[in-house]
Amino acid sequence: MASAGSGDEKAAAAAMITLISSDNEKFEVTEATATLSQTIRHMIEDGCTDGGVPLPNVTSKILARVIEYCKKHATAAAGEEGSSSSFSDAAFLEVDRAFLEELEEFDDAFLEVDRATLFDLILAANYLDIKGLLNLTCQKVADSVKGKTPEQIREMYNIVNDLTPEEEAEIRRETQWAFE
Amino acid sequence: MAAALLLDELVEEILLRIPPSDPARLLDAALVCKRWCCIVAAAGFRRRFRERHRMPPLLGFLGSIPVADHSCVSRFVPTSSFRTPGADHSGWYALYSGHGRVLFFKVPWGHDHRKNRLLVWDPITDERRELPPLSWRPYPSTSSWNAVVLCAATAGGGCNHLDCHRGPFLVVFVGTAGNRILACVYSSEAAAWSEPTFMLEPDRIHTLIYKTQALAGNALYLQYYVANKVLKFDLMTREISVIRLPPEGSKRHIMLMGTEDGRLGFATLYESRLHLWSREVGPNGDARWAQSRVIELATMLPDCAFSSSPITSPHLTGCVDSAGLIFMRTLAGNFTLDLTSGQIKKDGDHGFVKDVVPFMSFCTPELRAAHTGGYGADDSSA
Repeated sequence: MASAGSGDEKAAAAAMITLISSDNEKFEVTEATATLSQTIRHMIEDGCTDGGVPLPNVTSKILARVIEYCKKHATAAAGEEGSSSSFSDAAFLEVDRAFLEELEEFDDAFLEVDRATLFDLILAANYLDIKGLLNLTCQKVADSVKGKTPEQIREMYNIVNDLTPEEEAEIRRETQWAFE
Repeated sequence: MAAALLLDELVEEILLRIPPSDPARLLDAALVCKRWCCIVAAAGFRRRFRERHRMPPLLGFLGSIPVADHSCVSRFVPTSSFRTPGADHSGWYALYSGHGRVLFFKVPWGHDHRKNRLLVWDPITDERRELPPLSWRPYPSTSSWNAVVLCAATAGGGCNHLDCHRGPFLVVFVGTAGNRILACVYSSEAAAWSEPTFMLEPDRIHTLIYKTQALAGNALYLQYYVANKVLKFDLMTREISVIRLPPEGSKRHIMLMGTEDGRLGFATLYESRLHLWSREVGPNGDARWAQSRVIELATMLPDCAFSSSPITSPHLTGCVDSAGLIFMRTLAGNFTLDLTSGQIKKDGDHGFVKDVVPFMSFCTPELRAAHTGGYGADDSSA
C-alpha cells in the first residue's frame, strides 16, 4: 500500500483523491482505492494530483465501475496485510477464506456486463494500469470464445474476416490436427 | 463496440489467457482475421504464451493395444483438443515420453541388439526418427533394459523445456548383461550411439523394468523389479552407480519421482495411504531418505476403489513429476492426483488396461501461412 511508508497510516488512508472522468464528472476516492491503479499511484508519487486527476480516456459510466472494483479489492489488500501477522490463527484463516470467496463472487457478478462494457473495462484497466482488473476482464473474453467457431467469434465481437479463402485453407492445412 | 478498437497488445493479453490444454481454441482465434492470426503466429506471442502458463499441459496418453502375433499398436488418446495425425504406431510399443517426444521400441524385442529398433516421435510435428541399432561388443544382448528420451540440454539445466521438442535430443539406454550394467547414449546431433559405459554389479543381478524411472537434477534413476536399490546414471559424467532404497521402498511397489528441487523421490501405496519419500543429500555427500508426505486416499476415492486383494487394490500407474501428477488405477476407475492442489480427479476411460505414457507439451501453432501472406507481424524475437 502506498500509505504504508508515510509513517502515519491513518492519515494517509483517509487522504482523498479526486478523479475526473472524460465527461467531467468528479469522483472522490480514498488513496488506498486510487492506488490500485499504477498510473494514479505514479501521479500521487509525483505530487500532481492537486485539483483532481483528469482521466480523458475514461467515461463516468466506466470510471464508476472501475472505482467499484478498486474499492472492493483495496479492502481485500488491506485485509491481507492485517491478517498476515497472525496467519497461524485458524480463525483468521477462516475469515480470509470467507473473504476470498466473497471476492470471487464479487468478481463474477462484476463481469456480468455486455460486451461493449467489457471492452471499455479492458481499455480502462490498461490505461489505468490495474493488473487485477485487466487479468479479470481479459480472462473473461478468453473464456467466452471457448467452443466457438471463428465465425461465431467474429459475430460476437464485430470482427470482419479479412483472411482470403486461400489463406484460411493454408492455415487449416497446416494444423489439420484441430479439425478431426 | 468492436474488438477492432483494442490495441494489438490487448488482443494479445486476451489470447494469452486461452488455456494451453485447449490448443484448438488458439487456432480458432487465429482463423478469426488477419490481425489475430498474426498475433497468434508471432514467435514472441508463442514464447510469452509458454512462459505465462509455465507447465506444459497434458495433451493425451499413449497406450498399447495388444494384437495378434505378440505384436501391439500404440495409440495416442487425446485428453485435450489436441489431435495428432499419426495417432497409431503399429508394431511399436510406447515406452516413455519426455520433453515433447515419445520413445517406442519395435515389438518383439529380441536378444540380438542388431535387430532391435527404437523410434523417437514428435506428436506435434509428426516427425519420426528411427535410431540406428545398438552395436556394443562384447555384450551383444541385455537381459533387461530401460530407455528414455530427453532434451539434449537437460544436463546442466540449460533448458526450461517449454519448447525444446524441435531441438536436439538424447536417448539414454541402460541394460543389464551378466553381472554388468551398460549405458549408451544416442545423440540426435551426432546421429549415433556413444561408446557404452560399464559398471560391474557386485550384488546379484536384478531386472530393470520399463516405464519406471525418474529424471532429477543431472541424473536419470532407473528402477529394478523388487530390489533395495535403484540405478543412477549421471548425465554429465555418464557414470553408473547404485542408490540404496530405505526398507519401506524395497519391499513394496514403488514409483520413482523427481522432486521439484531436483532430488530423487518415490511414491508408494500402503493400504489407503500414499507415502511420498525423498532423498536428502547433505553437504558432505552423505544421503538419507525421509518420508516427506502422507496422503490419505480413503476420503478422496470412492469406497469401491479399495479392495482387500492386493491384485485389485489401487495401483500407481505413472506420474508426471514435473507437474506433481500421479496416476492410479482402482476398481472404481482411473484417477489423477494433483500433489500441488491435493485434488483428485477421475479420468475418462482411455480404454487401456496396461500402464500408459502421459504426453505433455505446449502446442502453439507456428502458422507459416501467417508469415508468407505478406501481412506478417512477427516480432521474431524468439
